[in-house]
Formats: sequence, C-alpha cells, structure tokens
Amino acid sequence: MTSALRARPTKAGVAKAEGDGSSWWISVGTILIFAVAWEVGPRLLEDRTLFPTLSDTLSGLVRLVTAGYWWEDLTSTLLSVVLAWMIGCSVGLAAGIALGTVPFVRTAITPYAIAVQALPKIVLAPLFIGWLGFGPQSKIAIAVVICFFPVWIDTMVGLALPKANEFKLMQSLNATRAQTFWKLQLPSAVPLIMVGVKHAMLLAFTGVLVAEILSASAGGLGTLTKEFSSQLNMPLTFAVVVVVVVIAITLVSIMDVIERRVVFWSEESRSRKS
Amino acid sequence: MEMMTMTKTDPLVRAAGISKTYRSGGADMVALSGMDLDVMDGEFLSLLGPSGCGKSTALNIMGGLLAATSGTVTFDGRPMSGPSRDIGMMFQQAVMFPWRTTIDNVLLPIEVFGQSKKKYRARAEELLSMVGIEEFAKSYPWQLSGGMQQRAALCRVLIHSPKLLLLDEPFGALDEFTRESMNAELLRLQAHTKATAILVTHNINEAVFMSDRIAVMSARPGRLVEVIDVPFERPRTPELALTPEFAALALRARTVLGLP
Repeated sequence: MTSALRARPTKAGVAKAEGDGSSWWISVGTILIFAVAWEVGPRLLEDRTLFPTLSDTLSGLVRLVTAGYWWEDLTSTLLSVVLAWMIGCSVGLAAGIALGTVPFVRTAITPYAIAVQALPKIVLAPLFIGWLGFGPQSKIAIAVVICFFPVWIDTMVGLALPKANEFKLMQSLNATRAQTFWKLQLPSAVPLIMVGVKHAMLLAFTGVLVAEILSASAGGLGTLTKEFSSQLNMPLTFAVVVVVVVIAITLVSIMDVIERRVVFWSEESRSRKS
Repeated sequence: MEMMTMTKTDPLVRAAGISKTYRSGGADMVALSGMDLDVMDGEFLSLLGPSGCGKSTALNIMGGLLAATSGTVTFDGRPMSGPSRDIGMMFQQAVMFPWRTTIDNVLLPIEVFGQSKKKYRARAEELLSMVGIEEFAKSYPWQLSGGMQQRAALCRVLIHSPKLLLLDEPFGALDEFTRESMNAELLRLQAHTKATAILVTHNINEAVFMSDRIAVMSARPGRLVEVIDVPFERPRTPELALTPEFAALALRARTVLGLP
C-alpha cells in the first residue's frame, strides 16, 4: 500500500506547480476515507468471510509474504511478465516495422491485422495450454499474444507520422530509405511506440495472471488467488490482489519515468510538463 | 522571352519546355505547361505568381525533386537526374526534428551525406552565429521561436555549401517584421556564399526586393508569362523599397500578373 501511495506524488507535484496546493491533501483524505470504510464496512456484515476488513487483509499480507512459497510464486509471475513483455515488444516492433515500411506486406497483412485486433485474444489461452502444456511456456505465450498487438499497431502508425515536408527534406538530401527510416521515421514513431510498450506491459501482466488462474500447476500469483479463493481464504486472496495492484502501479511508474526520459521532446510530453 | 543579358554566363539550371500534368479521376490537370527558363550562376531569381500557377511545381522540377511529364532540366551542364548534394531546399515551415538539438539539425545533411560531423561542427557554429542564434546551438528547436527556427533552417541549407538554393516561400509562415529581417539575412548569406537562389513567392514587393530577375507566372494552366529584370544594386537596403524605381518595377510586375 505504501508504494501505491508513493506513486501519487508526481501528479500531486504537477498540480502543486500549477498553484493548487491543496490537492495533495485531497489525495491523502480520500485514501484515509477509503481505508476507514474498508475497515468499518465489513464489520457491519453478519458474516465477513467474503469481505475481509483492511486489518484482516494486512495480516493476510504479512502471512503471505512470510510464507515459504511466496518468493517462488512472485518471481515466477514477474519473470514471466518481463519475458513475455520483452518478446511481445520485439515481435510487435518487428511486425510494425515490416508493415510500416514495406507497402506490399502492409497490403497483404492489414485485413488479418484488423481481424486479430477485434479478437478478444484471451480466447486463445486454452489453445496455448493445449499446445504447450501447463508450464511457464504457455503462460508466456498467452501473454505475448495479448501484449504484442498495441506495439505492432503503434509502431506501424508511428512510422507514418512524419509530415510531407519532413519526407521531402530527406528526399532533397538524397537520403536512402534506410536513412529516412533511422533518422526520421523511427524517431518520429518513438512517442507512440512508448505508448504501445507501456500498454503492453500491463497487458502482459494480465495475460500471465489469466494463464496462471486457468492452469493450477502454472504457479505464480494468479494460481495463488485461485487457490486461496477456492479455500474461501479471503484475507489471503485480497492480499494477493493488493500485491498485484502494487506491482502494476510500480510497473506503470517505471514506464512513465522511462517514457519521460526518452520522449522528453514530444509535443505530448511537453504539454504535460507545462 | 529570353533576354540577351542571360547569355553572358552559362546557366546553372536550364529548364527547357518543362510541363507537369497530374491525372485525377480520368481528367488531366495541367500544373505547369511548357516552361523555358535559364537560371544563371549566382543569381537570385524569384518565381512570382498566384496560387495554382505551378511555381512550386517548377521549383521542384528544377531541383530534381519532381519528374517533369515532358521537357528537360539541365543542372550544371548535366541532365538533372534527381536530388543532388549541390542543391539545398527550404520550406515554409522550418522542418526541424524535435528530438535533435539545433546544431544537430543543422548538421543533418552532413550526416545523411556520410561525412564527418566533427569536421563541420565549427562551420555549423559559425553559421549559427552569423544568423545570431549561436547560444541556442544546444537547445531544442521547440525551445526556439518560429523566426529562430527558420534561421536554423537557413544554416542547415547552407551547411554543405550547395550551389543552388530552392526556397519555397521560406518565410511565408512568419510575421511581417520577422519576415523582413529574415529576407535581409537570406540576401546577406546568399551574397556571402555566392549560391544561386530560386525563391517561390506570391509577394510582389518581396520578389522585387530580393531578386535579380522575376519570373512572373500565371495560373490555369500554370505557365511562365514574362521575366522581369531587376537592375538594383546590391547590397540592398530597406530604403530601396521607398524609391520610385522600386514602385515602378512593382507596378510592372502587378500589370504582368494582371492585377488592377
């Protein structure tokens, strides 16, 4: 919970710079109200088995992180997410570059791309489990399939972003196609690619969790929630959810920092700063 | 239409009967029809005319950026075969890459030509200080005003010392005051580098003030109507625009353009 709190100050800081000094207290206030409601609410119920209080959840969290299996499950999930994200981004980038620079490939692939975009890709999960078994391979494969798409599309769209005059400038310098790609198209695409890459991170996380929930022997946080909830051990189930929230916020924060470093020059990132 | 004065040196660019036709929806649209024009080495020539007169088309064809439907272009004694390192182009927008610092934008042509950026860094700095923005060398273009960005674009087009400058309304997007000072800057640098310049403009006074000759064009179909000699001495000062001779030439251009 503390790192969830700590993820906020960037936004509060921006608001402060705009002269709204009170917004920091609003954030803290709402969090306090939420905590109190969580602690008191379940106590009003006759049976709070399904809805543990905040303190139940926190003690569940302590039990969780001191349990023997904890590190193994945590690292299993995190490793799968990072691996799937890296593979998904590479595949997405490669596909995006192929489609964004070779018109023939673009024409050939676009109808399939539209079909794949519309598809709720999670439906493919049982297929991958069937093909690759219940182990980490199917987990990673599912996450890759879910997460590569935004990187693919954003890369493709990003490469077409340069304006006519920018292409013309490169043309007037007699630039090769490779030079136009490296010096104009790819840098222009980076802000959009970063959006896709960020999105892919959370999609990879979702994919891994779903795969873990689907296959009991996969291990990881998804498997833990499923086991705890089937045992009606709600404090521990909630504790896993809290962990997932913290991880997600941390991942997004890391990506935000990287994004700000990489695309400080983009119009969007400049307008956010001012 | 060709004048005797044009034969004293060889032309840097010779356009012979260049035409451009676009086909759209089964109908042919003639953007430029049979234009003959010689551009002398070292001269400043303006293509003046209303929108749709094919002046940008002519500029692009003469610069090797666009293929003519018919006619030929000779550049520096050889048939034009496409974009060349001897040609530099400026646009209405500065076209600065926001991820590059100003000096790296100026050095872009050097990079594309595969030459050593180190060797040209001093020249880039010199050019930036000639247009008065040397302290912004390490700034990003979006930290600069529109006028400063165009100054940097001017440095970029001059970095590789092209023989021919293609100027497609380069200061058209700037306010009147900035535009005037940029024009003066451009004339000064053009004289300094002895480059040949072709300027596309629809501003009569600008054409008269800047040019050695004005090629007046007209629309539907785009064609060359007349080439007007501008005999004023260089360097030109703002006072020139107040003389009766200047006004007379501007009026002549107006008449050729068919303006009341």
